[in-house]
Amino acid sequence: MSYSATFKEHLAHPRNAGELPEANATADETNPICGDRLRLSLIIKDDRIETARYLAYGCPPTLVCGSVLTELISGKTVAEAKKLIRADLLDAIGGLPSRKHHAAALAIETLNKALEPQMNTD
Amino acid sequence: MPLRRVYLDNSATTPVDPRVAAVMSRAVVENFGNASSVHGFGQQARAAIDRARREVAALIGARQNEIVFTSGGTESNNLAIRGICEAATAHGRHIITSVIEHPSVAGVCAELEKRGWQVTRLPVYGNGIVGIEDLAASIRPDTILISVMLANNEIGTIQPVNEIGAFVREKRTAGHKHLWFHTDAVQAAGRLPLNVEEIGCDLLTMSGHKLYAPKGIGALYVRRGVRLHGQNVGGHQERERRAGTENVPGIVAFGEAAKLAREELEQRSLHDRMLRDKFEGAVRERIPDVVMNGDPELRLSHLSNISFRFIEGEGLLINLDLEGVAVSTGSACSSGTLEPSPVIRALGVDDERARGSLRFSFGKDNTEAEVDYAVEVLARAVERLRSLSPLTLVSH
Repeated sequence: MSYSATFKEHLAHPRNAGELPEANATADETNPICGDRLRLSLIIKDDRIETARYLAYGCPPTLVCGSVLTELISGKTVAEAKKLIRADLLDAIGGLPSRKHHAAALAIETLNKALEPQMNTD
Repeated sequence: MPLRRVYLDNSATTPVDPRVAAVMSRAVVENFGNASSVHGFGQQARAAIDRARREVAALIGARQNEIVFTSGGTESNNLAIRGICEAATAHGRHIITSVIEHPSVAGVCAELEKRGWQVTRLPVYGNGIVGIEDLAASIRPDTILISVMLANNEIGTIQPVNEIGAFVREKRTAGHKHLWFHTDAVQAAGRLPLNVEEIGCDLLTMSGHKLYAPKGIGALYVRRGVRLHGQNVGGHQERERRAGTENVPGIVAFGEAAKLAREELEQRSLHDRMLRDKFEGAVRERIPDVVMNGDPELRLSHLSNISFRFIEGEGLLINLDLEGVAVSTGSACSSGTLEPSPVIRALGVDDERARGSLRFSFGKDNTEAEVDYAVEVLARAVERLRSLSPLTLVSH
């Protein structure tokens, strides 16, 4: 299987890895079928994602989706981040084989979960 | 392309030995005749095949007319299993195999199962080895074939084939005449001293590209007197067992590789073991939370299968590849369905340990400096991936 150069770059040099103890929005989602897991912690200030960190376990696309997702959402408003869909993430990665799209789905699902309470307070 | 490249995937395939390549290229040019032709060109090719057949037979202590050349391990396994089963339908339709066989054995058995044969798959224990008592408990009057590999391709564990051979002989003496024993020795041939008389097998599979010959050539040992239903028909080649004009350059290359393997077997084995032990020692010292898979003693000396806890093998494999180190993983994740290595799962371990396993396999061309480099790269990659893993949060 061949992955894009962007993909490999993120795998070798993951961005924003870790946890934020002072996070005010978090989510930890697991794909029940394959066991891949993504954990997202965010600091949201004035309705804007100021800092994003992730942890991931699973196949390489899951690790890379976490890394790319944190780059995509950093600095965005909650409403902007909420508009992100799977295709945006896949574009940013430089594509994934269709059988690996579930990794992008898990990332978007985790993001939405983390942003849920933020949206409810709107 | 990384600056440095280290090939630690010799169980997947070996680099072609330059001595083998030299003999093969001469054969391509000089032995172009069809070995079935009566004229001199044909007879020259026939003589080259005969010489190679003697060398391949000598590697396993067989007679030369007991060697059937094929295109490789998968074809040999197909010919052995289907060949016996289809020739022995009058005597029974029960096969005994193991849960850790290579897909080219497991797949043929599964296909025969769909066509009405019954298959018993022997379990392995935590050490990755089948129990002879389980075999004895599984045998039935209609069992016609036992197919158990000599050494496993993922964890290298050596199966009790001599005991299985003795068991089959005992059963035959007791009246179970139509019972045959096949062993897939693709990983073992050229790495362990093998003798078909000591093993007591009726069929044994070998592949050229696992012992420094090129791809596209393999062999099946068929004990004299064993009847096989040919799978390739339409020609008299290979004593009617495998029709088709012989791959003379491939056969010549395999013969040369078999000769070199026999002559250098001991020194290669010591070299591989030295590198493997150095590697495992350094991994244990440098990287916490690792589990070595498979029996520590009863395994091939060139192979190491290690589970790295809290991370997944494919990510680690790609990280290593980015720095030029080539290894392999038995697990796959596709369409959101987890497919951890069936071999590692068969050891009775959980999905996480199965997913975090990698195979490192050494060869005669690897060096100690390459092992040092691989350990450096591996230690960094494991640390990097663990820093991403949510599983380390609860464990540390």
